[in-house]
Amino acid sequence: MYGRHASQLLKEIDSSEAGQLAPFNSDVFDQVIRECNEHNSQFQSLIRKMVEQNLDIETTRNEDHYGAAIHHLSLLRNKRCLMAYMYNRAEVIQSFRWKVGPVLPHDIQEKLHFSEKEYFKNHSAAIKSYISKMDIDLTVDMVPPKDPYIQVRVLEDIGEVSLGDHSVSLTKNSLHFLRRTDAEQFISQGLMEEFLE
Amino acid sequence: MSSWDDDETAASAAEAATTDVELLKRAWRNEKAAPEVLRFDSPLVSRVREQIQLLEETLDDFADSGVDDLVVSLYQMDLDRTLFLLRSYLRLRLQKIEKYTMHISRSDDLLSRLSPQERRFAKSCAEIMEKHLEQSVLSKLPYGYDSVTRQSLSSTEDDMVPEPQLDTFVFCKTKSDVGAFQLDDIGEEVVDLVADDLYVLRYKSIKGLVEGGRIDLI
Repeated sequence: MYGRHASQLLKEIDSSEAGQLAPFNSDVFDQVIRECNEHNSQFQSLIRKMVEQNLDIETTRNEDHYGAAIHHLSLLRNKRCLMAYMYNRAEVIQSFRWKVGPVLPHDIQEKLHFSEKEYFKNHSAAIKSYISKMDIDLTVDMVPPKDPYIQVRVLEDIGEVSLGDHSVSLTKNSLHFLRRTDAEQFISQGLMEEFLE
Repeated sequence: MSSWDDDETAASAAEAATTDVELLKRAWRNEKAAPEVLRFDSPLVSRVREQIQLLEETLDDFADSGVDDLVVSLYQMDLDRTLFLLRSYLRLRLQKIEKYTMHISRSDDLLSRLSPQERRFAKSCAEIMEKHLEQSVLSKLPYGYDSVTRQSLSSTEDDMVPEPQLDTFVFCKTKSDVGAFQLDDIGEEVVDLVADDLYVLRYKSIKGLVEGGRIDLI
């Protein structure tokens, strides 16, 4: 049944949670590509057959024409599914740049196709270029501020960090009263958490 | 205008900031609710950045002159909130550009709504996406099916470019009396838009009013 493998790819996208990526399914992907090339060679041979019989390809309506039409349309459907698969994954990868940062943790990297890894790198570079041209960091301040200072609890040993005009020693489980913008980068990396009474 | 005992510059800076911040808040709300990217308000953004800088300098002066902590934290809050608005506004636009990069790159009208830096970003985004799709999918497909924007050679137009849904419903509030307003081309649906009323309408029909500033999205 034509198109079944391609719909498997789409089901994978559909069933994964928002903002999450399943590992790149290269088996099914390559299978769909193979199907496309199969369709194409069948299509070409049917067209050739019609030409050899001196039939006008544009207007003749015989079984070869319909066979060729089916191959052509199946190819198109496979192409749409493949593009949708890559495009939707690319959108999730875009969101990673905003949520996680310019470097992806290892467990996410494992799920990416090599072209996706390159895409992430290039895309991050484009964002970085915009940020530096505008001279305003867009990756902090993701939530509306309630207080200029927040209390944070350090989750992992970070060591000495200089914030503003003084340096703070961020040891595990210590509480600090920091400026929100300074703390945000640590919170997004999971090294600190907001301490709520 | 209430009388301020403080420095004249600080007072006028604070007042001007209120009006511009309101404008920025409005632009931010509109951008958040609209399905497509709206016109970049370049003068507003430059003014806001100047005022942010002024506020930062004022805060530095306070730190030196030992002003009361409460006043300092109030100014700091104001600064933080303005910064958040500005950052979120720019971020929202960037994310919309990311999402519809190929559609925007093909439309001169949409490109003209972006700031020059955003235009450069949109161009790189489109190139990067195209390269990625070509490398992973299109290079493996047979000849005639390898276009990014068209399904195949037999497609009559660019049918593979994702576009924003312009006819989604949006909540909006009129700023002044608009009167009888035609919602669609055929002239069948006409709605009477009164000032300061809340409406739920399709974005496409009120697009022009939003651009003209006569209606606000919520």
